[in-house]
Amino acid sequence: MGKRLFRWVDERLGTSHFARKAFDKIFPDHWSFMVGEIAMYCLVILIVTGVYLTFFFVPASGEVIYHGSYKALQGARMSAAYASSLDLSFEVRAGLVMRQMHHWAALVFLAAIVVHLCRVFFTGAFRRPREVNWIIGVTLLVMSMMNGFFGYSLLDDLLSGTGVRVGYSIALSIPVAGEWLAFLFFGGEFPNTEFITRFFVLHVLLLPALIVGLLGAHLAILWRQKHTQFKGRGRTEDNIEGSRLWPSYAAKSVGLFFIVTAVIAALGGLAQINPVWLYGPYDPAQASAATAGSQPDWYVGWLDGALRVMPGWEIRAFGHTIANPFFPGAVLPGLTFGVLYLWPFLERRFTKDRDPHNLLDRPRDAPVRTALGAATLSFYTILFIAGGNDVLSSVFRVAPESITNLFRVLIFVVPVLVFLVTRSACRSLARDHVHPFGGTVGSRVRRTPAGGYEAVDDDDPPPAEATRADLVAEAYRRPAPPAP
Amino acid sequence: MRTRILTVLALVGGALGVALLRVGPSAAQVRPPTTVPGGPAEVEAGHQLYAIACTTCHGTEGEGVEDRGPSLVGVGAASADFYLSTGRMPLDRPRTQAERKRVAYSPVQIRQLVAFVASLGPGPVIPRVTGAAGDLAEGNRLYANNCAPCHSSAGAGGALGHAVYAPPLNRATPVQVAEAVRIGPGAMPVFGPDTLDDEQVASVVRYVSYLRKPDDRGGFGLGHLGPIPEGFVAWIVGLGAMLMAVRWIGTKD
Amino acid sequence: MPAERRIAVLLLASTLAALGLAGVYIAGGQPQAEGALLGVALAGIGFALILWARGLSSEGAVVAERGPLGGTVEDEEAVEERVEEVTEEPGRRSVLRLFWAAGGALALSAVFPIRSLGPAPGNALLRTAWRPGSRLMDTDGRLVRVDTLQVGGTLTAFPQGAEKAGDSSVILIRLEEGQLQPRPGRESWSPRGYVAYSKICPHVGCPVGLYQADTHELLCPCHQSTFDVLDGARPNFGPATRSLPQLPLAVDPQGFLIAQDDFDEPVGPGFWNRD
Repeated sequence: MGKRLFRWVDERLGTSHFARKAFDKIFPDHWSFMVGEIAMYCLVILIVTGVYLTFFFVPASGEVIYHGSYKALQGARMSAAYASSLDLSFEVRAGLVMRQMHHWAALVFLAAIVVHLCRVFFTGAFRRPREVNWIIGVTLLVMSMMNGFFGYSLLDDLLSGTGVRVGYSIALSIPVAGEWLAFLFFGGEFPNTEFITRFFVLHVLLLPALIVGLLGAHLAILWRQKHTQFKGRGRTEDNIEGSRLWPSYAAKSVGLFFIVTAVIAALGGLAQINPVWLYGPYDPAQASAATAGSQPDWYVGWLDGALRVMPGWEIRAFGHTIANPFFPGAVLPGLTFGVLYLWPFLERRFTKDRDPHNLLDRPRDAPVRTALGAATLSFYTILFIAGGNDVLSSVFRVAPESITNLFRVLIFVVPVLVFLVTRSACRSLARDHVHPFGGTVGSRVRRTPAGGYEAVDDDDPPPAEATRADLVAEAYRRPAPPAP
Repeated sequence: MRTRILTVLALVGGALGVALLRVGPSAAQVRPPTTVPGGPAEVEAGHQLYAIACTTCHGTEGEGVEDRGPSLVGVGAASADFYLSTGRMPLDRPRTQAERKRVAYSPVQIRQLVAFVASLGPGPVIPRVTGAAGDLAEGNRLYANNCAPCHSSAGAGGALGHAVYAPPLNRATPVQVAEAVRIGPGAMPVFGPDTLDDEQVASVVRYVSYLRKPDDRGGFGLGHLGPIPEGFVAWIVGLGAMLMAVRWIGTKD
Repeated sequence: MPAERRIAVLLLASTLAALGLAGVYIAGGQPQAEGALLGVALAGIGFALILWARGLSSEGAVVAERGPLGGTVEDEEAVEERVEEVTEEPGRRSVLRLFWAAGGALALSAVFPIRSLGPAPGNALLRTAWRPGSRLMDTDGRLVRVDTLQVGGTLTAFPQGAEKAGDSSVILIRLEEGQLQPRPGRESWSPRGYVAYSKICPHVGCPVGLYQADTHELLCPCHQSTFDVLDGARPNFGPATRSLPQLPLAVDPQGFLIAQDDFDEPVGPGFWNRD
């Protein structure tokens, strides 16, 4: 039956030719190459759970009176969107698990993208010929962040309404065109009744379509260019070593999909996320209430932290105002993603390295790049932590003013320290050839066919019967090439 | 290998068990109302207790001491009961934020002290409330408008300026909540009868009582601290578990 | 335990969990049980697949050549030639230019419908719903009288008849008379110790709802700006750059609090044409 179907398809589409090549496609065995797959599988979960949610969610801001089963909001006025979120959580069987899986998957999706980006950055995998895929990847990050923001804004609870208002105010602060931009994007002065419908279309149609399309391009380019690989015995710029797609890698990858989904399902059922019924409805007419501990989701947290640590400065001149939130809210993300987009070209300018690279750097092989990356990560980590300054303040009982002032200093000092420490750590690691997670110092001894022993030089060919594990271990002992 | 899978299963099962166990009665504890301060004997007994612990800061007859403690004349039974029954008084260090701690006096002694303070001048009486009266949804609305800005939507508390904190409300009894609304202890504003009438206070109290054990239908509540703990769970538990899986997949047998 | 046994146990557990999941759903659903059972069902299959995959292939690492990425020189030249067939001939080039012009004009005209997405800003950001004589109304729809608040009390108020105006909420505080140090020109704005400030933070518009009664400070819960109520709500700390706009108050003959006029400056976050 299966065979006949395959023949039927093949005679019409010529599938067997492609499948034959695809089955032999080689995937590197190193675990770090699977982080991107985690992100991809989270996207699958997001789409499946998201489609389910759209059957129940009502993207409308019209006012309704709640008569569902959650007692503490009986008779309350709220938007239809918020009411349908409550119904999803209380009335729709399995609805809450789906909603929570969707939200957890979004948080993990972005985390996995960031780790994947770090892997690509710190190993130099973005270099020629992979610049285009780097740009697509950064675009995917930006779009996923935006879509996450639109997604949690849809529920129209008190917390998300506050977040939308912050977004509106940042748009408003843009010089010259800010008022028009904010009015056109949000449909008029905030608060209004337009934005939920707009965000819904962006969240479920436009951005997902773009994300899926770009991911397709990302994978197609990867397929064409083949994976990078770490240096090792027998590995060159012109070959690729690893496992074939069929059968074992395919089975492992599908297994990973199941495990990723299992983790998200367990979180979705056992760990409560975004309990909108406790936040209460956002009242666009009054916009009066707020809640202590107003934070965005983590991937927007660094922006909120930047808003918090920014001192109260703004530019007022010639009858115009460049308002305070413009700098942390628009300039900072602009610079962040601008530099990310341009990084492959910036690095090329400084290293003068225009060659194609299929062999990866270990982070220590490029001390300056690694140190810059670590310093940048520390910068955004501090911003993220600063976004929780009120939570830190009440947990550690330090005045929020002191914490904010501390962050205003740390934000400059820590990245510099991290840069210096990382750079010198990379250099000393590169000198000593010691793998930070184990590995031995010293030379290897081999028994000769004649029965004697001899030290193995790094340039010796490997013994024919050596296992791959030996090769990898040996690869780590090879001297690193000089830093760029 | 098997042990690792078993551990995961055990953790999942354990968490499930905990979540199921947490479905308990949510009605607030009802406390007998202690509204009326007692007669002269109680006032006298209270005065003696007062003389031992309170005069340094509040003066011998409750007139207050400059830079140490405010006058207690006219603060009423509600204030005295609130500060004493939450352990906020006596205060270890003057002029710091009084925080909930172990109660220093027995219920009888508190009644005596309250009677003494109430005898100093007319002031707010101890409200008669239980966690069961009032309207839950109305209480929710009032709480969102008046209380959540400082105490947070879930009653977890929050930071104000100058190292002052709005306390979490999970340990406040119905009477203490009502007292705080009426007297505005510390940095808290006063909500008088023209802002919130007694019925509305009862509703607020009911909602605060509900928040002690809110409907955590979604599972473990993560301390009701919002997106920050959620972010940590996503990174450490979520992505962490997946990265461990990936590392395991990447190893050979 | 041999791999086959382990795989069998995992798949059995997965099957049972999946059946259990269906059972929980039929019985009415319970989020924790649903999540945990779904997790076990999926994890069982996942781990089993990976264990199974390890036994599928014993070939170890495979090495393959990458092959060239770019095309040959002939390919490139052939493509260029074919493109130039069209673009190099002078007559065709001018037609091509016209195509570009028409396409550009079409793209430009397609931009205009964006204008329909929102109204012109106009003076929407400069004014609120407060008018001379507007009475103050609280969130319960009650009008605010001169004796509504005790000293130290606070409430959120809106202009009567414009409860839907999102830019008009104020926080009303009653201070002791004489406590407030009014700014020049605002001496008559705070009758009987009542003072009203716009509740919309001049930073990014969060509601400035936290009133710290002992230090007379308003706090914004989003980014921790603090405002000194006694000093015209001047920002003490945080990213806010401007004082909260003050609403000029008065008491009408019936004893209701009213606004003398709209705010004398735009409320909420800053923007290009604010001043």
